[in-house]
Amino acid sequence: MSRSPVLAVVPAYEEELSLPGLLDELRARAPEADVLVVDDGSRDGTGRVARERGVPVVRHPVNLGVGAALQTGFRYAVERGYEVGVQIDADGQHDPAFLGALLEPVLAGRCDVAIGSRYVARTLYHAPFARRIGMMMFSLVVRIAVGQRIADTTSGFRAYRRPVMEVCQHDFPRDFPDAPLLIGLARRGFRLLEVPVEMRGRRAGRSFYTLGKSLYYPYKNLLASLMAWIQRPA
Amino acid sequence: MDFLSRTQVVTAFGAVALALFVLDLVRRRRLSEEYSLLWVACTVTIAALGFSTPLLLWLTRLLGMTGAASVAFAAGLAFVMAMLLFLSVKMSRLSRESLLLARELALLRFELEKDHRLGSDGEGA
Repeated sequence: MSRSPVLAVVPAYEEELSLPGLLDELRARAPEADVLVVDDGSRDGTGRVARERGVPVVRHPVNLGVGAALQTGFRYAVERGYEVGVQIDADGQHDPAFLGALLEPVLAGRCDVAIGSRYVARTLYHAPFARRIGMMMFSLVVRIAVGQRIADTTSGFRAYRRPVMEVCQHDFPRDFPDAPLLIGLARRGFRLLEVPVEMRGRRAGRSFYTLGKSLYYPYKNLLASLMAWIQRPA
Repeated sequence: MDFLSRTQVVTAFGAVALALFVLDLVRRRRLSEEYSLLWVACTVTIAALGFSTPLLLWLTRLLGMTGAASVAFAAGLAFVMAMLLFLSVKMSRLSRESLLLARELALLRFELEKDHRLGSDGEGA
């Protein structure tokens, strides 16, 4: 039996309530993809619920952040010869039914990174006002830096071709892998493409975006975007 | 632009130079964005106090200080305290995590050595 060329990487931190639903959906709606859960130092049963479903789990002994969890997934994918890695949030916001649409341009070689976007086509998703302003600002930042319109820079539903994963396993933001990452990848010559998808609300559990993180986010991402723009790609 | 003293000029331009140095460290990836936040906030505050004499005088009166230059130094001292507290919190977390990693490594080594011993016994049998 030949193995799938696609690995879905699910970074998960204390998501034992929402993870089972996502893993069941992935199996039902995207059986062609292999799945890896990266348990980012959870103290609940996140790893256990994944193992009960026969999904391999790599566990970080301490919480390292979503960027580090994805890097672990990329390294796993590169070492095992996967051609495409898909990033899917464990909270159930990303609908596996759109996995095929996200993968199509990557597998066809039309882009190196496909970004599942809420804003390419009219969708049911409505962001709060402050978030919409932030998204417009970072969309403008990306446009200025790389000359391409990316409407949904904060989407964490993305597919990466193997050469991108080879870079990202070494160089990836530890937190908020959004606009600066896209600028850095475009500056390295990788082709980005937005694919329309629907996103849902969090299924269960709680978000770890606190007030402090919401205030730190614009500072960090603006500075990191500026640096990604002026730095020579490593 | 009116400066009250030479100290104010040195403070203002020193803060700008330090801000540029901090940003260059971030650009060269020697300092992460997370750790740059306090430095940038401090240098911008001190530069604002240095370049805006009305702001400096207003803050001096508000804090009841006698010398305007002392306000910039007080701001610097407050930053040092904040930075020390921030680093202490970070260091406490790192120390907790390094203990956890050492324990995890010890358990993994034990498991590996146990598997290796079992393998050797199997070959010898």
